[in-house]
Amino acid sequence: MKESVLELPATPEDVMRGVEHLEQFCTEQQVPRKAIQGLMLAVEEMASNVVNHAYQRDAQQTFRLTLQHHGDRFVVELRDHGPAFDPLHAAAPDLESDPDERDIGGLGIHLVRHYIEDLRYAREGNENVLLMTKLLPPA
Amino acid sequence: MPLDIKIKRQVDSPRHTTLTVELGGSLDTATAPQLEAQLTPALDAQVKDLIFDLAKLTFISSAGLRVFAATRKFLKQQGEQVSFVNLQPQIQEVFEIVKALPGVSVFGSIAEFDSYLAARQRKVVEGE
Repeated sequence: MKESVLELPATPEDVMRGVEHLEQFCTEQQVPRKAIQGLMLAVEEMASNVVNHAYQRDAQQTFRLTLQHHGDRFVVELRDHGPAFDPLHAAAPDLESDPDERDIGGLGIHLVRHYIEDLRYAREGNENVLLMTKLLPPA
Repeated sequence: MPLDIKIKRQVDSPRHTTLTVELGGSLDTATAPQLEAQLTPALDAQVKDLIFDLAKLTFISSAGLRVFAATRKFLKQQGEQVSFVNLQPQIQEVFEIVKALPGVSVFGSIAEFDSYLAARQRKVVEGE
């Protein structure tokens, strides 16, 4: 198993630094391109959620990304110490309603669920821990 | 991952301007505000067609989709048209997942869009 850990300030620019680091790490690990794209989107959505909502763009705060390549699956752990918030039980977007009236805010988690096979949330001490597991096709 | 934005303004008639917005790179949580800032002043009353050319766009997240949705909402109030052309497969996939923001017309290529424009012009000539 190969692992990479990155602690980043809570800003949108640093979310994208994390996404770029993920892309580089996955490319080195020869994760298929299509899986990398799904992982990048998932990390962008969930980390920006932490930055914009849990921390309200307080750049003094940080979040931690742990990337693990297990061969048959890729695991991303996103850890923050914002107020307890379970993104998996936030309201799902109503895709059938008038798109102009709909709250588009729920689209992020909708996209993540499409690309990530297993999503788990836990509150550990004063930290939110989100585990995202993507299954990889056999090499 | 930066976002490249090129806005081209084509005056078709005194009351009809077509805006083509070429996007390249990454439309994400860090770059979406840049698109919003450049788009807002460009959308005046003469703009009747807005085309997003996404040929060079490699990444999009819900932050980017939110700008598209807000733009569409703004233009729809004046009966105007927003189109998306030249989507790369991974962008097309994201559009399909969110049901492509229902009501927004999505075209596969500029060629398809040209034939759509020609069809619409024929309708005008025929007085429909």
